Amino acid sequence: MLSRSVASAVSQVSSSTSALLPNSKQLFSFKTLCGYRSSSFCGGSIRKINHKPLRMTSSNMTTRAMASKQLENADQLIDSVETFIFDCDGVIWKGDKLIEGVPETLDMLRAKGKRLVFVTNNSTKSRKQYGKKFETLGLNVNEEEIFASSFAAAAYLQSINFPKDKKVYVIGEEGILKELELAGFQYLGGPDDGKKQIELKPGFLMEHEHDVGAVVVGFDRYFNYYKIQYGTLCIRENPGCLFIATNRDAVTHLTDAQEWAGGGSMVGALVGSTQREPLVVGKPSTFMMDYLADKFGIQKSQICMVGDRLDTDILFGQNGGCKTLLVLSGVTSISMLESPDNKIQPDFYTSKISDFLSPKAATV
Amino acid sequence: MAPQLLSSRTFKSLFDSVDTFLFDCDGVIWKGETLIDGVSQTIDLIRSKGKNVVFVTNNSVKSRRQYAEKFRSLGLSSVTQDEIFSSSFAAAMYLKFNNFPKDKKVYVIGGEGVLEELQIAGFTGLGGPEDGEKKAQWKSNCLFEHDKSVICVGLDPNINYYKLQYGTLCVRENPGCLFIATNRDAVGHMTDLQEWPGAGCMVAAMCGSTEREPIVVGKPSSFMMDFLLQKFGTDSSRMCMVGDRLDTDILFGQNAGCKTLLVLTGVTSESDLLEKGNKIEPDYYTRTVSDITKLMDSPSK
Repeated sequence: MLSRSVASAVSQVSSSTSALLPNSKQLFSFKTLCGYRSSSFCGGSIRKINHKPLRMTSSNMTTRAMASKQLENADQLIDSVETFIFDCDGVIWKGDKLIEGVPETLDMLRAKGKRLVFVTNNSTKSRKQYGKKFETLGLNVNEEEIFASSFAAAAYLQSINFPKDKKVYVIGEEGILKELELAGFQYLGGPDDGKKQIELKPGFLMEHEHDVGAVVVGFDRYFNYYKIQYGTLCIRENPGCLFIATNRDAVTHLTDAQEWAGGGSMVGALVGSTQREPLVVGKPSTFMMDYLADKFGIQKSQICMVGDRLDTDILFGQNGGCKTLLVLSGVTSISMLESPDNKIQPDFYTSKISDFLSPKAATV
Repeated sequence: MAPQLLSSRTFKSLFDSVDTFLFDCDGVIWKGETLIDGVSQTIDLIRSKGKNVVFVTNNSVKSRRQYAEKFRSLGLSSVTQDEIFSSSFAAAMYLKFNNFPKDKKVYVIGGEGVLEELQIAGFTGLGGPEDGEKKAQWKSNCLFEHDKSVICVGLDPNINYYKLQYGTLCVRENPGCLFIATNRDAVGHMTDLQEWPGAGCMVAAMCGSTEREPIVVGKPSSFMMDFLLQKFGTDSSRMCMVGDRLDTDILFGQNAGCKTLLVLTGVTSESDLLEKGNKIEPDYYTRTVSDITKLMDSPSK
């Protein structure tokens, strides 16, 4: 069971937009767990994402004054921390292909006594299923070291003692369902509701279960109007119903060839219809960071977050008070990092994690 | 000034000060496919007193022609297509007024109404309801084709991942691709018994994946009002906007300097209107459109 310190860390964040839970004293008094979003830098037209900035629990989340430095002394960075948190897509693998040099790098870090943790916003698989993916790619990673946002949703509900007699409506894929089941929660929805059609005709009333106490929304390739309405009805009409988002990534690398509309789209739809902001459990929200720091008893200043995405991975690390290393093997290019529109500066950047193997001056 | 409940005295002064009544449709004239009581007589009465009547709806699922048919089927056969301004029509007019090249194509996440209006205006619209059957393929080396120059997003009960992905790639990757929204209403009375997610939902889904804000052509954006004022050559101060939604109908009217009348037969209740957090205050409010008939006939106090 998660300690109260994590619970209280989460309770400090606030935003004015979402509805308060009527019995929030029993659960949390926080309102949202939105991650702070800066302007996007995805190339093409830029816009400021309309999130209210969150009061962060620890580190100062405003722009670091210093520009990111190219990693020149990997050994120094490695020696300065106890734990490495790795994002997966664009850092360890791309689609189903392992990135060059990853196995040797992970082995080297373990040999140096470093703890390795993998944190992904991808909610389509459960930790167990991710464990299998690592195994298939020849990587020696334990299920206990993997934290997917599907797991985060279930862990979050556990941390607030979400009642086991209440149900969870899921707009998302199997990973979320599996994790909820493992945690002992009852759920409805998921991919099967992708087959449900509705006909908007006179006298038709869509019913919804009144004991749904939480709606969890994540990446969903089987998204449809039925699910949107079901989720909307639960959030608007069931008193105290939670609106939880696994993550809000705009796009994701489902295949290595191109980007695909991500969880940010499905969550956006529910925000559009409910006019409420969700509690976000995935990066850049610090929920997963607080969870694993508590679980493993690690100091956040002893962690280095390694990721390929500035507005999720790097912000996650910064929000948590960790060191941050951007790799250019995923969605972010050097020009995006150096663009004047980019406000998120990681401590270091390098081309890929196997640069750790050549301790000095890896070329980018 | 706080919104005033319409009385026979205030009604007379309102009625005499306007030449044109603008009516929203969902929640004002009808709810789903059901006409709201007394509306037909009220529209006829307003016309008989020499006032103009115009209908401005954010619902983009139908074209103006299809809306005229709906009016007819509900017994309001006096309403002509020329008096109807739907956001589907507004989207096509936006492209026309901005001289959008006719050889470029528009991808529609929405209903037939948008496709029909685009066609009437001489544009090529693709997508629409039939893409509700399509499924995306996520195989390695299989690229998702996306060559449109405008994405137009409106209410779409056939929304699916294919359409979201299509629209997302066009907006993010096709240089100069326009992202247009017919409207951003969060919910609406698509059926008479309950509210359903509105276009605001589909538009927000696209904002979530494209990280861009759209050009909104429907209420409360002034586009349709500018169009109407130009078309009718009238002064906005001589118009009264009648609607059920504060953040679209009433704001639309206020932004243009019209008088505004909120009715409580749609998405807004009296307590929503009067609650402390509400910042949008219509000049007047009344329970239903047919109160106009009652107040017209009653002696002034």
